[in-house]
This record gives sequence, structure tokens and C-alpha cells, in this order.
Amino acid sequence: MTDSSHNTPLKMDVTTYDDAAVLVITGSVSISDADRLQEKLEELAAERTPVIVLDLKEMDFICSAGLGAIIVGHLKCRHHAGQIRLACPAEAVRELLEMTCLTKLFDIYDSVEEALAGE
Amino acid sequence: MIDKNIPTDLTAARHLTEEVLSLADAAGYSEDDRFAIRLALEEALINAIKHGNKFDPARQVRVSADVGNEQTTITVCDDGAGFDPSAVPDPTADENLEKPSGRGIMLMRAYMDEVSYNDYGNEVRMTKRRCTGLPHLAGHN
Repeated sequence: MTDSSHNTPLKMDVTTYDDAAVLVITGSVSISDADRLQEKLEELAAERTPVIVLDLKEMDFICSAGLGAIIVGHLKCRHHAGQIRLACPAEAVRELLEMTCLTKLFDIYDSVEEALAGE
Repeated sequence: MIDKNIPTDLTAARHLTEEVLSLADAAGYSEDDRFAIRLALEEALINAIKHGNKFDPARQVRVSADVGNEQTTITVCDDGAGFDPSAVPDPTADENLEKPSGRGIMLMRAYMDEVSYNDYGNEVRMTKRRCTGLPHLAGHN
């Protein structure tokens, strides 16, 4: 197995809608990547996007600094009553969110569509 | 067996993590075990670089990792002043949930089977027994 299989490079793609944005996160949010995620979320929050959905289906790892980046985004969004919603986390990531009790801060949805609809 | 000093640098920390995970992979550790080892090691390295060495490039981080057939033991030591791990607030308490940091120690304890610090508080030693099943939360603080 090569190094890259342990640390799939972080890739982020944004799709914007009228009142929402979907940020697809692919790969690992590792110790050297958390700043990039935070910058992206702060950028979306600065645009006063009402709802930011993080599509976590292809995110295979996140460290506490990555979780911190999402929390910073959440705090920025709150300035304009915006919201970050999480969609489709892999099992290991879902367990991590539950263990850290971040499921109290963030709603988790089984699909991006449900997250956009908030149901 | 890995036993080396790395610079106070997040990219160096990432490469070290890759090295340890390659050994765990070669030894046939499960995906869950590798996730746990990776998470705990990254948290220990972040703490050493950020809180211990305070990103000071003149300081180093000493890391040893023994990836065996039955368990993996990792030691991470920084050049900082040390700290009292028992004084770190519970990050799962409602009043701390919105704090962006402070989850590293809790995660190391949750995902590894044994976690201990030296008296000075600048070295953490963690052991992950090769197994399956969910991580545990008991006594994470």
C-alpha cells in the first residue's frame, strides 16, 4: 500500500444554490489540512450563505483540528443565523462525531437532499 | 520500529504518521485499528507541535512507534514545559461543545487502550491492542 492510500489528499468542491451551498469534502482532513477547510468554511460564511451542507460521504478521516475547523465555521455562520448541516458521514466519522458529542451541535442527514431540505 | 526526532512542523508530522500507518498496514491491522492509531498519533503530534513546542522551529518532537503483531505502542515527547492532562476540561460538556479545540486528549483515550503521561507532562505513551470493535469512552478524562 502506498502512502497516498493512508492520507487521501483533501479535495473540496462547492456547489452554490440560491440559499444554500454544498461543500463536498473528499479524502482526509489531516493535521496539515484543517486550515484549508476552515478557510473554505469562513469564506462561505462570509457570503452569508444561510445553509451550508457538508457532504462527508467521501471523507475518510478527520482529526480534532478538522472538527475545530467545522466548529469555527458554525460560529461564523451563527452571526447571520446560518447553519452548517452534515450529510452522509462514513461510519467511522459518524462514531467520532457521536463520541465528541458534536451531534448536539450539528444535525446529521442521510443524504445531501435531506440536509438541504432540513428534514 | 520507528525511533526518531522530527522538526516542529505539521508536514513532518504527517509524513511520520504515514510511516507508522504503513507499518500497521504491513502488519495486517484492520481499518478500524489503523483509524484509531492514526487519530491518536495525529492528536499527540498536534499537541506536541502546537501546545508543547508552540511551533518553535528550534524545538523537536521525539517519536517512537513499535508496531507489533499484537499491539502498537507509540511515544511522543516534545520540548515544551509540560502540562497537567487531568486539568483539561471535558470537551463533551455542554459548555465546551463550541470550543474549536481541546478534544485531542479525549480522543487519544477513547481510541487507544492505554494512555499515560510522564510526570513532567511533555511525553505521552499510548498503546493500541490489535482488536476489533468500537472505541471506548470510559474514563476519558
